[in-house]
Amino acid sequence: MKEIHILHLYPNELNTYGDHGNRLVLMKRLGWTGYEPVVHHHHPGDSLAKQIDFVIGGGGQDSAQADVQADILKIGDGLRKLAESGVPMLTICGTYQLFGHRFVTNTGQEVKGISIFDLETVGSDKRMIGNVMVKSEFGTIFGFENHSGQTFLGENQAPLAKVLRGNGNNGKDKTEGARSLNVFGTYLHGPILPNNPAFCDELIKLAVENHYGEFSRRKIDDSLSEMARATARRRPY
Amino acid sequence: MQDFLGTLIGKAVRLILSYRTGGGHALPGLVVEKLFPRYVSSMLSQIPGGVVIITGTNGKTTTTKIVSHLLNSNGLRVLTNPTGSNLTRGIASSLAQHANAFGRLKYDIAILEVDEATARRLVGLVAPRWVLALNVSRDQLDRYGEVDTIASYIGSALEAATEGVIVNANDPHLSERVKKVKKPVYYFGASPRLSKFFPSDYDLAAVDSSIEKATKSHKTDVELYRFNGQKVEYLVGGKKYAANLQLSGQHNFLNGAAALALCRRLLPPEKAQGLVAELSRVSLAFGRGEKYRLKNGAEVELVLVKNPASFTQALLSYGGAGAHLMIAINDNIADGRDVSWLWDVDFSPLNGHGVRLTSGKRAADMALRLRYDGIETQKIEPQLQPALHALSLGSGRKVILSTYTAMLQLYNYLNKNAEKIT
Repeated sequence: MKEIHILHLYPNELNTYGDHGNRLVLMKRLGWTGYEPVVHHHHPGDSLAKQIDFVIGGGGQDSAQADVQADILKIGDGLRKLAESGVPMLTICGTYQLFGHRFVTNTGQEVKGISIFDLETVGSDKRMIGNVMVKSEFGTIFGFENHSGQTFLGENQAPLAKVLRGNGNNGKDKTEGARSLNVFGTYLHGPILPNNPAFCDELIKLAVENHYGEFSRRKIDDSLSEMARATARRRPY
Repeated sequence: MQDFLGTLIGKAVRLILSYRTGGGHALPGLVVEKLFPRYVSSMLSQIPGGVVIITGTNGKTTTTKIVSHLLNSNGLRVLTNPTGSNLTRGIASSLAQHANAFGRLKYDIAILEVDEATARRLVGLVAPRWVLALNVSRDQLDRYGEVDTIASYIGSALEAATEGVIVNANDPHLSERVKKVKKPVYYFGASPRLSKFFPSDYDLAAVDSSIEKATKSHKTDVELYRFNGQKVEYLVGGKKYAANLQLSGQHNFLNGAAALALCRRLLPPEKAQGLVAELSRVSLAFGRGEKYRLKNGAEVELVLVKNPASFTQALLSYGGAGAHLMIAINDNIADGRDVSWLWDVDFSPLNGHGVRLTSGKRAADMALRLRYDGIETQKIEPQLQPALHALSLGSGRKVILSTYTAMLQLYNYLNKNAEKIT
């Protein structure tokens, strides 16, 4: 079976809100589509894996973010090259913030990011917590946000989606997440992939096409996802 | 004489029943009450510390357990009635069971947990020293209908207290009813800052907020001041006390306040000092595998799951071959509104077994989660009661793994419609 190599960034440090679920769903759906997932864990101090078709990274406490920051600056050039070569990446919350220019904490401390996204994040006293619904090019996306960092996109940075319910990037401009090339960032947990299979399959398509130059879809029974999405639509913020 | 004969008959009926069904605690009381209509009042009059009634829609069982613990730890022998037997005949059964063969009860005080309608009837049989009223709330499974009717039942019980009453300061129904009480009224409640955690029936129904506003200013004898995780602070008689509670859930923190307020009236002042410290030693069996027998004879076990650790532990204990599982997931504040945590649970103990049902508000999310671990869910039924019914129709061992608020609903239903076995 054709392999797809997944790099999971800092699985021990950034895994707060069911981020393991994204990896699980990605792997299962790759399998159901006819590809064999191979996972590489990237821990602080490791060098980047040789074969990488997909990158995922989760969220964590602000303190954990400082721990991995030194490492991500070291592999930042490598990640940027992968991004430029079309490798899809899914970055959630903490990893999303580190893919921007910087994160300025509540206490004024500056945590530098790797600038794959043109955005920056500032800490705030207000925690944004609740069920979120956003509109994206992959249809409606449902998730759960839980963050105090407010992210502001640069002038030419495209968002991932428009907020229909909830706060999104900052609670002010109705944007949620970011997209540059095939790199996606978002605040949405839930985790995001199980409840949004269309989005997941689009990421898989990008990864497969990028590696093998062609992709054929297989029909997957998503009736349970549909039920969960109907629930999510009804739940209040 | 009726104490002796009634007790003997009650014990005899229980003995006969125990051979046939292995339980059944209302029938002995029914027989005894038929033969000796004054059995309950006569027996209870033996107890030197008298009778205390705990009533309300939610939290009776927990509060009674806490009060019993606090009084026990102060050397009192406490007679209580088991959960689910709070009709007067259940109390009669309990009295017959706990008395010795001569019909004597060796207890210092009786703390009786009764629903609202039973409270009104019980005070016709025996005058309680104190009545503690926890709350009045609409309850979809309630058999009494109108919430005002329920409130009036509690009102009758409150008016019958010979020494005084303790009521929830934040409950507008109760504030109305204590106006007729001639004896001293003491309040327990939550700090106004915590009110969002404790919506009253008026808040839930969004009716007549003018009454509600008028009730917020009662001076509380015991106040749930604040909490953070299991660390809870109470204001008791104006003084602040902190404790690390084993009780979980903010509702139980408030039940703790109610229990403290009652025990302060039942114990001499010098003993009341250590109550908050003692409260930290109370643990409940809540969701630790209690077993109920439904009317169709099926037995179900209840297990609380609230985070990846407790869920994984529960799967290891109950997930193996043979057990039919129902998993009920709600996403209310007390459950945690984010259900992401389900993806951090290790479901491998269910490999090859499957799950009978998922239920609760997030039933579909739960089934979806299981699907990605290759575990089949036979049925998705978000409504708890139909799900419980479907589970009960199967054969073999039946276990419900449930989050906090789903379990509260299940308890509420089971305590009225099933018999508690363990």
